Amino acid sequence: MSNLILTLTVLMVLFCLGSSRLLSIIYLIAFQGFLVSVLPFFINDKITISVILFILVTLLIKSFLIPIFLYFVMKRITIKREIEPIIGYNGSVFLGLIIIIISIFIGNKFNFHINHHNTFLFPAGITTLTSGIFLIIARKKAITQVIGYLMMENGIYLLGLILSNHNLNIIEFGILLDLLVGVMLMGIVLHNINKTFDDIDTTLLKSLRDL
Amino acid sequence: MGIFKLTIFIILIGGLIPFATYKNFSLMKILSVLFISLGSLMGVIDSLFKLNNKEIYNVTYKLSDIFIVALSINNLTKFFMIIIYLISFFSVIYSFHYLNDSSKALRTALSYFLYSLLIISMIFVVSANNIITFIFSWEVMSLTSYFLVIYNYEDFETIKSGYIYLIFTHIGAMFIYSAFGIMFAYTNSLNFINLSLIPLNIKTLIFILSFIGFASKAGLFPLHIWLPYAHPAAPSHISAIMSGVMIKMGIYGILKIYTMLEFNSIITGYTVLAFGVISGVLGVVYALGQSDLKKLLAYHSVENIGIIITGIGIGMIGQYEKNFAMALFGFTGAILHTLNHSIFKSLLFFGAGSVIHNTKNRSIEQMGGLLKNMKVSGLTFLVGSLAITGLPMFNGFISELIIYFGSFQGLKQLPLTQFASIIAIISLAVVGGLALACFTKVIGVAFLGEPRNDNTSNAKESGIFMLIPMIGLSLICLTIGVFPKYFIKIALYGTETLFLNSIDFHINDYFNFSTSITNISLLFFLILTILFTLKYFCYKTKKIHNTSTWSCGFSKPTTRMQYTDFSYAFSIIKFYKPFVLFKSDYKKIDKIFPNKIEYHLEYLDIAEKYIIQNIAKFLDLFFEKLRWIQHGNIHIYIGYILIVLIILLLLI
Repeated sequence: MSNLILTLTVLMVLFCLGSSRLLSIIYLIAFQGFLVSVLPFFINDKITISVILFILVTLLIKSFLIPIFLYFVMKRITIKREIEPIIGYNGSVFLGLIIIIISIFIGNKFNFHINHHNTFLFPAGITTLTSGIFLIIARKKAITQVIGYLMMENGIYLLGLILSNHNLNIIEFGILLDLLVGVMLMGIVLHNINKTFDDIDTTLLKSLRDL
Repeated sequence: MGIFKLTIFIILIGGLIPFATYKNFSLMKILSVLFISLGSLMGVIDSLFKLNNKEIYNVTYKLSDIFIVALSINNLTKFFMIIIYLISFFSVIYSFHYLNDSSKALRTALSYFLYSLLIISMIFVVSANNIITFIFSWEVMSLTSYFLVIYNYEDFETIKSGYIYLIFTHIGAMFIYSAFGIMFAYTNSLNFINLSLIPLNIKTLIFILSFIGFASKAGLFPLHIWLPYAHPAAPSHISAIMSGVMIKMGIYGILKIYTMLEFNSIITGYTVLAFGVISGVLGVVYALGQSDLKKLLAYHSVENIGIIITGIGIGMIGQYEKNFAMALFGFTGAILHTLNHSIFKSLLFFGAGSVIHNTKNRSIEQMGGLLKNMKVSGLTFLVGSLAITGLPMFNGFISELIIYFGSFQGLKQLPLTQFASIIAIISLAVVGGLALACFTKVIGVAFLGEPRNDNTSNAKESGIFMLIPMIGLSLICLTIGVFPKYFIKIALYGTETLFLNSIDFHINDYFNFSTSITNISLLFFLILTILFTLKYFCYKTKKIHNTSTWSCGFSKPTTRMQYTDFSYAFSIIKFYKPFVLFKSDYKKIDKIFPNKIEYHLEYLDIAEKYIIQNIAKFLDLFFEKLRWIQHGNIHIYIGYILIVLIILLLLI
């Protein structure tokens, strides 16, 4: 079951890389958040109250709060789709596939003492993380970049699952809180960028550099 | 050791108090000056007393496994501590009336804090006994002095000077650290331990690297470029500390590395001597060409560092040739000159600060006749000038005389050493003569004659706290000059540390001339007093009337008829033409009734023009090629992170 979830997560990554509609990307990231959040159910050996509580909070934030917030931001700035990406959609999907290959290669190099007997966890985490950064690089609209940031965090979350012991979820909570605040700040910044430049195209920020 | 800690603690308190009391400007200054000067005075007395017993104090504090503070206080350290605390004491008193802009209260508070940090870091530099402590305190010293230089940061020139200083000090630090790195590779120890067992070529490498590094801090030619920029930009008491004390840390470093390596190589001895000679002669030639008073003094620092390095070179050659007297005279002269230079250079910077503070300009072309309005500043500046030119009765003479003695000892050796000694003797003589010419210029143009503008003629004497340090330092100059025996003894304590297998000797075996200096000086003063008394009685009944200086019987003299500094110095500088570049700007007279004619002459430093600027040009070209990395495109910036991440993951 956990393998299925991981496969779906990676597929969501590819979907995100290939779609131009902002609304669908938000749906996809919400679904990916959902997948990632429920993963501990299937890989943890024993399910305690704290694990359930943790999963529920993660689920709430990742797949409801943040996407809804992003949805309202999108409505407010009235931008529906990504036009003129820096790297095209087909190219992005192709690069996504290359990222998966490199991740598996890296995953084979690392011999973690893996608790969960799940060899796909590490490559999937690396793929999601790297694709998140890739999304930030490859798209111009700031809202897509926020989504790339979210995807990156999902990747970190997956990697964290390998490294942390079952009950040490305190770090994950910290990251989650960071993320929530980060996205809210991004919303405000987005609004201001939109007001200043009449667009949320981040290449316009180039005019802010010195010399 | 207890007093050592207490001293540092008091100075630190003096640095921290201003932050609590900066709302009340004078209270802040009083408390801060009181604490720092008290701590410094304690330091001077403590180090002086400890010099007598040859004990070496070792202390280690383990802050963490890597960062271990190890201090070792030997006699050389104590000697340098005397210099640091002494100048710090006078300098902080001077700052009381110098920093009198109450609208800059917070900045002044910060300046006192950085000042105390600078003093403490220098104390740690001289007493550090492992690489970590040394590097840490060296960095703190460089950074605090940088921030003190850019005290007037509104001025673009100040910021520029600050950057030049920062670049030079860090390039120097880089060389020092690489020398330490090699040291660590061969000994596998972070402590400063005896390195006599490592191979000779490695020793040479370590010595050359650290010599370059320390020379850039000391301001040796051609790494002196930062001195004429940083000193005019900094407030005068900071210039005094930097020129008087901080550049001596470079000298200390050279001596320290030399002692640790137990290094006997004749080539390095000659090289050090050559650098000293070049620095000495060119420093004073460039100084002669300056009309900015503080720039002129900065070039004199280059000259005096040259003299000190010459002394060290003589000492090193003597050590190699097993000529004990030559080594002793060379090192003792260098060490004593370090003390002397710090005293008269601070005195001169105080004087310059006082003059600039009151006339509100730095060019001596605009001054004139200052001795009439500013008697104390003028007279103490005169004392400092006499001392720096190495005239008898003042302290500069004593140390230069000892270095001369060392050079003359070299004449007994092999032909090559003979030649080096002759070069050293001639260059010392040239330096002395040119320094005399330079300071007659300063005294003649700035202090004598008639004022050249209103600011100068209205100049008033500075506040009492600016005068006290100047008087104090002049008295010390005179004391060392007249009673050199005790001070030579102090310098000898420092020199002892340099001779690891030292021979027992008595001070009178080598330095019996000091008694005759005292006798002759006292005789001179006696004659002087008699002459003045005679003059007083002879002129008592006669009528004396005043007229303007240099009027020479002319009925209506103007100030434009006076000697200017360029006209005075030009004929001397012309002699050194290949080493000094002229940049003159002169519009020729082309009409029968010419308009206003201007003539502009500037001297350029060959080290700056040919060496440093070419390196800078090359670096500029290189980094210009890398400019595309910073393009302002956020996406690609993040791309850099991604690429680095993937490469790291693949490499691990």
